[in-house]
Amino acid sequence: MIARTSLLVLLPVVAIFALTRRRRIVAVIGMATFSLLLSSVYLLLYAPDVAITEAAIGAALVTFIYVLAIRRTGRLVVVCDEAPGLLEREGGRIVGLEHAILTRFSRHLGLDLVVRFVPSEEAREMLGRGEADLAAGGIVAAQIEEGLCASTGFLETAFFHIEGPLPLTADRTVVPPAYFADLVEAIRHGRRVCVTLDLARFLAVSRLDLSRYRVSRLPGNDQYVFALQAENTELRRRLEAFLSDLRESGRLERLHERYVR
Amino acid sequence: MRRVSPAFVAVAFLLVICMCTAVVVLFDYEGPAPHAGAPYLRQAARDTGAANLVAGIVFDYRFYDTLFEILVFAVAVLGVRFYLAQVEPSAAAEQIPESRIVRISADLLFGPILLLGIYLVLHGHLSPGGGFAGGTVAGTGLLLCAVALGADIVAIRFHETLLERLEWLILLAILLVALVPALLGLAPLTGLLPRGAVGQPASAGPVLLLNVLVGAKVFIGAWAVTYAFSRHRGEI
Repeated sequence: MIARTSLLVLLPVVAIFALTRRRRIVAVIGMATFSLLLSSVYLLLYAPDVAITEAAIGAALVTFIYVLAIRRTGRLVVVCDEAPGLLEREGGRIVGLEHAILTRFSRHLGLDLVVRFVPSEEAREMLGRGEADLAAGGIVAAQIEEGLCASTGFLETAFFHIEGPLPLTADRTVVPPAYFADLVEAIRHGRRVCVTLDLARFLAVSRLDLSRYRVSRLPGNDQYVFALQAENTELRRRLEAFLSDLRESGRLERLHERYVR
Repeated sequence: MRRVSPAFVAVAFLLVICMCTAVVVLFDYEGPAPHAGAPYLRQAARDTGAANLVAGIVFDYRFYDTLFEILVFAVAVLGVRFYLAQVEPSAAAEQIPESRIVRISADLLFGPILLLGIYLVLHGHLSPGGGFAGGTVAGTGLLLCAVALGADIVAIRFHETLLERLEWLILLAILLVALVPALLGLAPLTGLLPRGAVGQPASAGPVLLLNVLVGAKVFIGAWAVTYAFSRHRGEI
């Protein structure tokens, strides 16, 4: 009697726990716990056949199918090239301002954030094919291509042109490296480079020896943005709402202080 | 995701609490009275040969119902196959990297889960369990493997085409088990096999046979549906 009553009291508690979770995977685990408790109730009510079926289907099979569905849909997939200070790998972790914003945004949506590092060209293609939800990693509004659209900016930036090593030759055809890390390697070894960099990447490069390269600041300023598919109006609306909320509440300012200054 | 209004949540919350309180307070069930079911249990065991009354009902007294349940399940699997066959198989999607924890626990758990499923099927006429529950348990074990290893690898290991044929053979066998006694003039539907001594592992012939057939059918059907979804609608 005591066992059954406590189980019956626990059932609505677990059900409400499952209903109120933001993260879907936690809600599904809550549902599985609910099924397991329910199957114990069946057992105590002398219905072992029903209990076995409830445990096999409610707690195991249904949970599995939910987990499979969530693996495809419950994620916010962000593709990016590494951008120092914005979105970079440090040891086993991913850190940076953009990562901080995206983590808060995905938590706000109840999704799991998945960051994939790819060359910036490929990032745009993946976004176009719908394999990713957002592109990040030091993207500025001016770079946004057709079919994609930009969020509002969250950080000022400027552009720098690096060319070298000196003396410059007439041949200016240099294929820019796919990954930012490759570019850093190229400059470190004094190989031929001709690129325009945004502020975050330039700051990382400026720690290297640039005496043999010609560096010039390009006129004009821009803003870092996130890129997303133009058709994805729902995500865009939510991202805009989230960013403006972040700005108005002063949290963006605090993130700037923590990651940028 | 739309936000649910707090008032709705509050009302639902209160409703659930009230209903649960009502269940706890009003429904003071202490199990069957010790003497009430005994004649039924004795009679059913004599009739069907199955110590587990539920198995006796499902596969003997009410086998006609169960037969159509099995057919409904088969039609559902067929429907999934038929409609997904018209969807282009999705290109080999990028495998979502699985953590070592999941892979190793899948390896460790697959055997015991399969064994439990087989036990539930083979022991279904003596103890709680039976073909439906056992087949689902074994199917879930296979699903666990599919999550950890990728659906295609499991499909190769378990010979997808062979399973598909086996599934229809099993359905044919179930129909034959139901039809043959009637044609031979035995007890309708389940008179084919001897019933044996109640409580022995080899007793309740028709119930045991049907448990095995249904267990295999549910196992293969559950896997076939999942695999069809994974192949046509993206990787598991």
